[in-house]
Amino acid sequence: MLYAVPHRLSFNRKESHAAGSRSEGPAARRLRIPPRAALLSLAWLVIGALCSNPALAQAAAAPAAATPAAGIAQNPRPSAPGAGGAPGAPAAPKSSAAAAPPGETATAADAAPPDTRGLDEQVQGLKKDVVDLNRDLFVLEEELLYPANTQVAVFLSMDVGDFFALDSVQLKIDQKEVINYLYTPREVEALMKGGVHRLYVGNLKVGKHELVAFFSGKGPNDRAYKRGATLTFEKGIGAKYLELKINDRQRRLQPEFEIKDWE
Amino acid sequence: MSFQRPTGALVRRSCAGWLVAFALGAAVAFAAGPTYELLGHEAPDFALHAVSGGNVRLSEHRGEVVVLSFWGSRCPPCREQLAALDKSLATYRSAGLQVYGINVDDDQSRALDFAHGEAVSFALLLDPEKNVSRSYQVDNLPMTVLIDRSGVVRYVMRDYNAKAQDLYRQQVRVLLNE
Repeated sequence: MLYAVPHRLSFNRKESHAAGSRSEGPAARRLRIPPRAALLSLAWLVIGALCSNPALAQAAAAPAAATPAAGIAQNPRPSAPGAGGAPGAPAAPKSSAAAAPPGETATAADAAPPDTRGLDEQVQGLKKDVVDLNRDLFVLEEELLYPANTQVAVFLSMDVGDFFALDSVQLKIDQKEVINYLYTPREVEALMKGGVHRLYVGNLKVGKHELVAFFSGKGPNDRAYKRGATLTFEKGIGAKYLELKINDRQRRLQPEFEIKDWE
Repeated sequence: MSFQRPTGALVRRSCAGWLVAFALGAAVAFAAGPTYELLGHEAPDFALHAVSGGNVRLSEHRGEVVVLSFWGSRCPPCREQLAALDKSLATYRSAGLQVYGINVDDDQSRALDFAHGEAVSFALLLDPEKNVSRSYQVDNLPMTVLIDRSGVVRYVMRDYNAKAQDLYRQQVRVLLNE
């Protein structure tokens, strides 16, 4: 850039003049600080980048972790006989233990096997505590998120299922989609074995509401099949439970979809 | 006490030093690639339609090593990667490996054409609303996410080449041996 040249020249001239005319004073020392600060900041940035990227951090840590092991394998430090391994001398116990052959250490460990039965019982007790705590938290979460006064829960059950292979259920409450659930073959199998799936749980105000459920899947003759069912229900004080039921109507060789209100 | 104000030259020099440091740091950070926030976290659960029919839910595969490959029909490396994943699945399926290809195309017919043309033995899933792609922060195709037996995202690969393929095999072996 042309406009920068005179400026740069004057900057250099001033600097050389200052360096030539005066001995190194605080100003000159101050001149050296910015590059050092820059190097320091660069080092911090590199460390920051390494820490922020786990892959790089792993790559950086791997050689660091491997180096001591490799060092030991390649260059086993000989225990200096004169330094700390003098027989009978009350030398530091650590160094003598380190200098002891591994076989001796192993026999010492075998001689006094630690009793782990108590520890195992403690671990089992802790596990039980965790399970209990998890159950309590679950109950508390349910009570807080879905208080009984406003709770509405929708379940889905399936009977036989010869005429309908369930794929998904879309649920709308008061014309607002609340869930669109895809059923996997395993889930369908569980439903056909008598399982009941809690499809939705939420909160509703007291009053009249409309529930619409769309069932998608494969119907008779393996054709795409989509049907809907509607229910208008009154939500009172207390929890409301509704059940979507898929039945086979043998007489018509068609599936039947209904919504049952559990009073 | 005398206070000497820094001259303009000094300020300029210090600024230049900082700028150089910042630029080098930024270059190092860029070379390292963007971080993947899901690494070490539980993989977001999903249920998607498969091209071959039926639905797949990720949480049903706890206890298995799951590989999710996000692909698009306009991505030539995706085709190569799907073939490579199919080979690895044939090798490691008995050890508990599951592979799913998740399509991110807007046009499902393209995805279906592509899927029917490819003879892969694993399920190709459709994600037309991109909910799963968003939750897995897909920013490049092909992108492969490796999930361990406990449902935690352990590795991610944002590219496909021979080197990446070797790394992928190593990572899959590590996860299968756990």
